Amino acid sequence: MTGGGGSAGAVNRQIKLPLSQAVGIAYRNIRLRLSRSLVVTSGIVLAMAFLMSIMCTEALHDGMRNWLADARQASTKNASLKGAAGPAATQRLEERMRAKGVAVTAQEAAAGQIQTRWVLGLALAVAFVGILNAMLMSVTERFREIGTMKCLGALDGFIVKLYLIESLFQGVAGTIVGAMLGLALSIASAGISFGRFAWINAPAGRIAAAVAICIAVGVTLTVAAAVYPAWQAARMQPIEAMRVDT
Amino acid sequence: MIAPEAANTTIEAPTATLAEQSVRTIDVKREYHIGGEVVKALRGVTISVSRGEYISIMGPSGSGKSTLFNMIGGLDKPSDGRVYIDEVDIAQLDAYELAWMRCRKIGYIFQTFNLIPVMTALENVMLPMIFAGLKTDEAQDRAAEILNRVELGHRLMNKPGEMSGGQQQRVAIARAFANDPTIILADEPTGNLDLQTGKLIIELLRGLNKEKGVTIISATHDHKMLAVSDRIFWVRDGLIDRIQRRDELKIEEGIIEGAHGEAMH
Repeated sequence: MTGGGGSAGAVNRQIKLPLSQAVGIAYRNIRLRLSRSLVVTSGIVLAMAFLMSIMCTEALHDGMRNWLADARQASTKNASLKGAAGPAATQRLEERMRAKGVAVTAQEAAAGQIQTRWVLGLALAVAFVGILNAMLMSVTERFREIGTMKCLGALDGFIVKLYLIESLFQGVAGTIVGAMLGLALSIASAGISFGRFAWINAPAGRIAAAVAICIAVGVTLTVAAAVYPAWQAARMQPIEAMRVDT
Repeated sequence: MIAPEAANTTIEAPTATLAEQSVRTIDVKREYHIGGEVVKALRGVTISVSRGEYISIMGPSGSGKSTLFNMIGGLDKPSDGRVYIDEVDIAQLDAYELAWMRCRKIGYIFQTFNLIPVMTALENVMLPMIFAGLKTDEAQDRAAEILNRVELGHRLMNKPGEMSGGQQQRVAIARAFANDPTIILADEPTGNLDLQTGKLIIELLRGLNKEKGVTIISATHDHKMLAVSDRIFWVRDGLIDRIQRRDELKIEEGIIEGAHGEAMH
């Protein structure tokens, strides 16, 4: 090989995309393609609202069941107990729960859980596929843009970074909105069905944990759904930028 | 210093020595496998381009023109033969080195402009500088300077969608020059522009070519482009059909007109 003349051998490998720049680009990509971003985000919102409402409703029901069990135990010890936790009140709550198809005892509740888990898993899988599809389409839409970036010297990693940051934004935003929505809906619906019983023994700690789980699941789901499309985008050859057909 | 294979080539640029070669190919072949069939896009092309030359590659579609252009631009690797860009054999480069090369040594200009739609003119020009590791402030100043040079100093904050085709192409030219490359590759740079705008773009490219001593290689059908080229490579059936210098071109104006018509089909 020759390789002696001029600036030969001066080939370097230092190319970079600072995180702040990547975040800026990803943010503007979302804003420019707002309608597509909203479709992706609303998918996450719905899935997370579903997950959150199921977890929160379950927590509220458990709270009521525990209260019911405690109140009964107390009234067997002290038959003269009256008022809020008296036999009249427990009777009323039990009737209402039966009328709404809510399990009254812990054993009954456990029986229904498997089915709930199935429905939940299915809903999350559907959301995952939806996000994946939307992300793949956004890669297709941006073939030329990605090719151009590569012509400008972008490494595969830059493209992956951009897509993952973009999905992270959408995941965080969609999950927070979805979790709040699910929380509000389940509390409102429990309130309508059971009145003051709904939060007489509401496990606040468990509901807070449910919010945390929801955010973790939502963000993980979204970013995981973006991994394959991001990898596909990164594999694009710079030559694609030259294609004239749109 | 002179490699033996370069010595006997008949299409060497007039005054070039090897050290001044911007792009050199040696018996480059490129085959594609499409559905079990082998398509020979390039059948052995040896060319050399000196630093600062303005080259046009002409040829009908299917002639191998695009393939040759992509080879020279480091966008495609040969099946056989060698391609040297700035005396570096591109087949020896890994992904990082290729990216570095595209970022620092080569500037690309496209028929469809290919600006990043979410970015302003200024940010589009800054992008390759950011990749190259420049600080934001520095990149901003330099990008504004280059945009001023292409007479877009008043549109720094405009997005591509808010600019005309000619303006977008000028931003793209500014972007191609962002990191002071040694080679500019322009793929039909006037293909999507009207006659007058195309003329201005060609003048701009020629001006920058003289001013910065950068090599410009362009695949084109545009007759206006031929008139400013130092040399024209005619590609046919995967081979270099002939190479014309500008002084020969003026005598053969009529032939060019004819060939131009043919190339359009």
